[in-house]
Amino acid sequence: MLKKTWLGTVAEICLILVLSASAGIAWNRTLLAGAWRGESTQQAETAAPAGEALPMPIGLMQVKQMHDAKEAVIVDARDPASFAQGHITGAIVLPVAQARKNGQLPAGAKVAKDATIIVYCNGFSCHDSMEVGKLLMQAGYLSVYVYEGGYPEWRDAGYPVATGGT
Amino acid sequence: MSGLKRYWPCAVRITLGAIFVYASLLKIADPVAFAGSVAAYKILPYFASYLAAAVLPFVELVCGLLLISGYRVRSSALIIAALNLVFMAALASAIARGLDIDCGCFKQGGDKTSPWIALARDTVFLAMTFVVLKVEPKSKNRLYATLQEQ
Repeated sequence: MLKKTWLGTVAEICLILVLSASAGIAWNRTLLAGAWRGESTQQAETAAPAGEALPMPIGLMQVKQMHDAKEAVIVDARDPASFAQGHITGAIVLPVAQARKNGQLPAGAKVAKDATIIVYCNGFSCHDSMEVGKLLMQAGYLSVYVYEGGYPEWRDAGYPVATGGT
Repeated sequence: MSGLKRYWPCAVRITLGAIFVYASLLKIADPVAFAGSVAAYKILPYFASYLAAAVLPFVELVCGLLLISGYRVRSSALIIAALNLVFMAALASAIARGLDIDCGCFKQGGDKTSPWIALARDTVFLAMTFVVLKVEPKSKNRLYATLQEQ
């Protein structure tokens, strides 16, 4: 009898889980399909208020293409310690505090004002890349993108990373 | 038996259900931000973070509603207890790895809730599921008895 009750409960639990998981997947199908294809998941909420230019969001695949073709300067908006632990190969470090000070890329990195710049930090919960992107635009850089997936997504995708060299 | 003594486990069940419904609605409203919170734990790979962010809130919502309604209480309370254990394991691992992240338990974005506070909160929720599973069935609560007969 006891065994039967437990079986019933287990069946109920499975049913509840399957039903709610299906509801969740159906509800978020567009988002999940996008994430599956590795597209940018940034929603339209970042639409710029009139008069203010904001960096455009960019997805993993586009970043990878531009990285491989060396078409873009990649900027790491995290602190130098995180940068040293691991960063996208070829990225230059520009923490938010430093960008606030002068809004310029570090000396030595000669970047034309019309070069394509991609800023990233620690993924979706990190807003430093957007902040640095805005500061760079204010400093006169014309083509600035923010890679929202950031270092975690890049690393998890198995793309080239480097350590050290702040 | 006074009303308070008779109905407190029932109140615990409804409160617990309401907390989970509330938490789930905040996450359903902003799945991208919740996916970000899940990804920040650095436990799941990229797509799995999104899948978890899509599915978890709905499991919370359904179980919360079941707890409130009193229908299939045992199953939903067991799922909630299991979810709490998973959340606590994730929080403990975040603490152990020294991650400075928001727990992502309720409102996404905004002020960070420290993993320690979240862990303490989950312990309370776990104790509440214990009350729902063990205390309420024994309480002489006519409401519960009626529900079970259905």
